Amino acid sequence: MRAAWRRAALVTATMAFLGAAIAAAAGDEPWILDANNWQEGKGLLPDPVLKRLEKGEYWFKVVPVDPAKFRQNFAKKFWDATAANAGRYELDEKTCGLKDKATGKIPDFVVGLPFPTIDPKDPQAGCKVAWNFTFSGNQGGGGGATFTLNGVDGTGEFRKIKAFLHGMIYQGRLDGQIKDNPENLENQAITAALEPQDVEGVSALNKRYWDWDSQDAIWAYVPSTRRARRVNAATRSDPVGGLDIFADDLNCYAGKVEYYKWKLVGEGKILAPVLQPYPFPMRQVNPSRFMVDTPYVKAGYEVPKSKGAQWWPQENLVFIPRPVWIVEGESTDPYYNFGKVIMYFDKDIYRIYWKLVHNRAGEYFYTAMCGYHFVKNDETYSAVFPSLVLGVNDKTNRAALGGRYQSSFIERNWDPNYFSLRTLTHMTD
Amino acid sequence: MSARGTALLLAVLAGLGLYLLLEHRRPAALAPETGSAPPLLGAPAATVVRIEVDDAEGRLVALRGPSGWTDAAGHPWGSDAPADLLDVLATLEPVMVVDPEPENPADYGFGPGALRLTLRGAGDRVLLALEVGERNPAWTGLYARLAGERRVLLVGAILHWELEKLKESAPGS
Repeated sequence: MRAAWRRAALVTATMAFLGAAIAAAAGDEPWILDANNWQEGKGLLPDPVLKRLEKGEYWFKVVPVDPAKFRQNFAKKFWDATAANAGRYELDEKTCGLKDKATGKIPDFVVGLPFPTIDPKDPQAGCKVAWNFTFSGNQGGGGGATFTLNGVDGTGEFRKIKAFLHGMIYQGRLDGQIKDNPENLENQAITAALEPQDVEGVSALNKRYWDWDSQDAIWAYVPSTRRARRVNAATRSDPVGGLDIFADDLNCYAGKVEYYKWKLVGEGKILAPVLQPYPFPMRQVNPSRFMVDTPYVKAGYEVPKSKGAQWWPQENLVFIPRPVWIVEGESTDPYYNFGKVIMYFDKDIYRIYWKLVHNRAGEYFYTAMCGYHFVKNDETYSAVFPSLVLGVNDKTNRAALGGRYQSSFIERNWDPNYFSLRTLTHMTD
Repeated sequence: MSARGTALLLAVLAGLGLYLLLEHRRPAALAPETGSAPPLLGAPAATVVRIEVDDAEGRLVALRGPSGWTDAAGHPWGSDAPADLLDVLATLEPVMVVDPEPENPADYGFGPGALRLTLRGAGDRVLLALEVGERNPAWTGLYARLAGERRVLLVGAILHWELEKLKESAPGS
């Protein structure tokens, strides 16, 4: 009898082992990519990242996902709206602005991906990918978080800034169009530094207009002068707080689609950073506000005897292999600091995971890695948020981490008056 | 003033004049640090009719035709990569002269296995002949030499990106 049990246990263990082996062979088991097997990262990472992987500075916990299940991170309402957009939009030839085919004008309100299918042979494919990116990110409608920016070099953290960002989106909201939009905005946001004391209260108000040719209106406020000053939209390419990170790194691109000349140059597969492959829950705290709790992504400098570079994420970040469009973007604004930027867009959910930045002289100098998390309550509401940005300046061998907040909120009914110069100038009262 | 003093002043003046004359006649030095160096491709990109890339993997030829770029057999190029490469070369200025007189060019990746890029215009005229070496340690740029020159230039790594695009989109690749 005992022998029979032993045989049964042996058979069960063998089956379990075989099952695991088959799963691993099928490629759906988590695995570690590091310096020991760096060759397996070829074709899955941009060149400068692969180089650091080979040197042992970076490592990746790779978690394969079911593409169909991953797609469901966005609500059915989003995908239904996307399907309904087929054939509805085109692009303005001159500006690459979004145009309603029926009217020949900028559409009144868009929700879902405006271009459900992308033809790589289409000369306008790059710009269409960029529009899908915009509307993928806009679905949540707005929210905010308090976060940190951490400057890190080879010895550890050298500067830390605490700040908040609150944003309100008009276009692309799954909750529908906000009829009261007298300024004709696509979105508006307010951001302010909280710590350290030397930057406390330094803040900015950003308004993006829903048209093809205007510049963003950005006002910057410095408490010591008590003046709000209008600044050029190209300041998105200036380093934030002297760190190796840029305002344009939020979501890996934070400008208007019309600011860049876009060109689709290839397709591929990339390791996409996410906090987890599937959505986080949202907790309602009042009729319009929902809280989202997410884990903190510790970096090397925060973990004794960690593996890899001081700035490399150590926990609560996984990488999923995703099909991507490879797109070049180049600003037409002579005051914009970047030259050609190479971006890797998810082919299905249109997030940018990596971007490589060249300066105006054609020198490559900077890589940004953009990680995300998803939120969904049912099939009528979902959102995708930028969880973190890791900016690495390969010229100076320094980096900056942005984001990594543990709590954020979704606001589905902002008071638009909050996004005003009055808020900006009275923040430190 | 004595005659001796006047003669001395005249001699100094003549020396200065000679110096200015010689300086003026000297061929224009590459001064990329100030951003005043000319782009690698001095001619308009539209005048290039043939792109040749020779490296350890073999030879790649792109020809400008009436309906776009093709390979030598007439197969259409899979992308705008040839035009993109020319656009970059027409604006890409060397970042700096890394080494005016390299003792061992192989240290920079030059030699028989190095990539050679040749752009030709009408009548087979060579518009640019460039030997492309390795990437610099930070990978921000590439070492390159103009044909017939010894000095080593650093050019932006965007050239590497464009060359990779060209090779990957070649017909049959």
